[in-house]
Amino acid sequence: MSTARAAAILLGKELRLEFRTRELLNATVVFAIVVVVLFSFAFNPTPDESRHYGPGLLWIAFLFSGSLMLHPSFARERSNDTLDALRMAPVSGFAILLGKMLANFIFLSLAEVVLVPVFAVLYDVSLAGIVGRLVLVLVLGSIGIIVTGTVFSAISAHARMRELLLPLLMLPILAPLLIAAVEATSALFSRRPYLDQTWAAFLAGFDIVFLTASWLLCDFLMEE
Amino acid sequence: MKSRIIGSAFAAALIIFAGYAALYIAPVDMRQGQIYRIFFFHLAAWVSTFTALTIVFVSNISYLATRRQRWDSLGVAAAEVGVACCTIGLITGPLWAKPVWGIWWTWDARLTTTFLMWLLYVSYLMLRGLMEDPRRRATLSAVFGIFAFLDVPLVYMSNRLFPTQHPQPVFFGGPNSGVDPTMAKVIVLCMIAVLVIMIPVLIDRYKVEGMRAEVEELRQEVELRTSQPAGTHLDAPARTVNVKEVL
Amino acid sequence: MKDFQFLFSAWIAVWAVFFVYEVTVARRLSKLRGEIDRLKQQLREG
Repeated sequence: MSTARAAAILLGKELRLEFRTRELLNATVVFAIVVVVLFSFAFNPTPDESRHYGPGLLWIAFLFSGSLMLHPSFARERSNDTLDALRMAPVSGFAILLGKMLANFIFLSLAEVVLVPVFAVLYDVSLAGIVGRLVLVLVLGSIGIIVTGTVFSAISAHARMRELLLPLLMLPILAPLLIAAVEATSALFSRRPYLDQTWAAFLAGFDIVFLTASWLLCDFLMEE
Repeated sequence: MKSRIIGSAFAAALIIFAGYAALYIAPVDMRQGQIYRIFFFHLAAWVSTFTALTIVFVSNISYLATRRQRWDSLGVAAAEVGVACCTIGLITGPLWAKPVWGIWWTWDARLTTTFLMWLLYVSYLMLRGLMEDPRRRATLSAVFGIFAFLDVPLVYMSNRLFPTQHPQPVFFGGPNSGVDPTMAKVIVLCMIAVLVIMIPVLIDRYKVEGMRAEVEELRQEVELRTSQPAGTHLDAPARTVNVKEVL
Repeated sequence: MKDFQFLFSAWIAVWAVFFVYEVTVARRLSKLRGEIDRLKQQLREG
C-alpha cells in the first residue's frame, strides 16, 4: 500500500474517532477562547494596542491549544494498546505519522477558523481584504506546530507526566516559529497590510526542515 | 591513580594560571575598564557549550545509526556538561551587560538563542529522567536531541532580523576587528583551561551512565535469584530500591 | 575599582556552578559504586 493511501485511511480513522464525540475539538476551541478573553484583562484592547499585541496573543493561544490538543494523539493509542496494532499493520511508519499530522492539522485549523473571527470582533481588528494572506500565514504556522507537536506527542506518550512534558518539549522548539508567525501577522494587521515575504519564507523553511527530519526519523519513533 | 593525580595537578595549575592571566596579565580595555575581564570566561564558557552540544548531536545520530549504548551515555553526559557551561555563560552575561550596557538582559539574537538552547537541553535532560525503559529512552531522546539541534540555527536566524546590542565577534572577524595580541593569547588560554576542566567531568558523567546500566543489570539478576528458588514468594512484594533515590 | 562587584560575582558564579556540578557528579559516582558493591555482595551471598 502506498504511503499516501495508508495515510489517507488513517486520517479517515482519526476523523471518525474525533467526530464521534468532538470532545477534543470542543475543549480546544473553548480553551483558546478563554486565553483570548483572559488576555483582554491583561491589557486594554484599544485598536492601537490590539494591533501591537494582538498577533502575539493570537499565536500564543494557538500554540497553547496546540500543545494541549496534540497530547491525546498518541497517548490515546497507548492507553488503548492500539499503537501495537498500528505498528503491525503493513504500512510505513511515516504513513502513521502523516495520517496523525493531517488529522491534527484539520483539528487545529478548525479551532483557528472559530478563534480568528472571535478575536477580530473582541479586539476590533479588521480582517477585510487580508483573509487570503492571513490564511496563508495561518496554514504555514499551523503546519510547523503540528509537525513538531505530533512527533513530540509520539515521544512524550512513553514518558511519565506526559501531559506536562509535551508543552515543555514543544514550546521552546516552536520559539522561532512564534517569532516569524507573529511578525508576519503583525504586518497583515498594520494600517497598510502587506504580506512580509521574509517571514512567510521563514515559516515555510521551518516546516520543510522539521517535516524532512520527521520523515527521516519516523521509523525510530514507531519502533517497539 | 598516579596519572590522575598528575592530571589534576596539571589542570589546577592551568586554571590558576589562566585566572591569573585573565585578571592581571591581559591589559585593561580602553573603553570598558576592568569589567571586560568577565569576557575571558564568558567566551570560554560559550565555546565549551557549543563543543558539548555538538558532541550531543553527533552522539544522537551515532546512537540511532549504531544502537550502541555508549553513544547514548556520551550524549547525556555532554548534554549535562553543555547545560552547565551554558548556565555559566547565562550568569556571567548579564553581570557583564549591567555595568557596560546599563541593562541586565536584552532580547538580541545571541542572547535569545543561548537562552532557548539552555531551555531545549534542559528539557532533553528532563525527558530522559521521565522514561524508564533504557532502549526507548535512548532512541526517543536521540530523536528529540536532533530536533533541538536543528532548531538552534532557526532560533538564531529568526532573531537576527532584529537590531542587536551584542557586539559582533571580535575574533576571526576581519582585519579591523582586532584585539590586543596579549588578550588574544589569554583568551585562548582560558578556553583551553575551561575545556581541560570540563573534559574530566564529562568523562565522569559518562561513567555514571555506564554504572547505572550495570546497577540495573545487577538488580535484575538479584531479583531473579531471590524469586526463583522458592517460587512461592512471587506475589510477595520484591524488595525494590527507588532508582531515583539511589541515583 | 569601578564595577568590581560585578566582576567579583561573575568570578564566583563561574566557580560555584562548576564546583556544584562537579560535586554532584562525584557524589553520583560514589553512590553508584556503593550500590554496585552492595548488589555484588548480595549476589555472592544469595
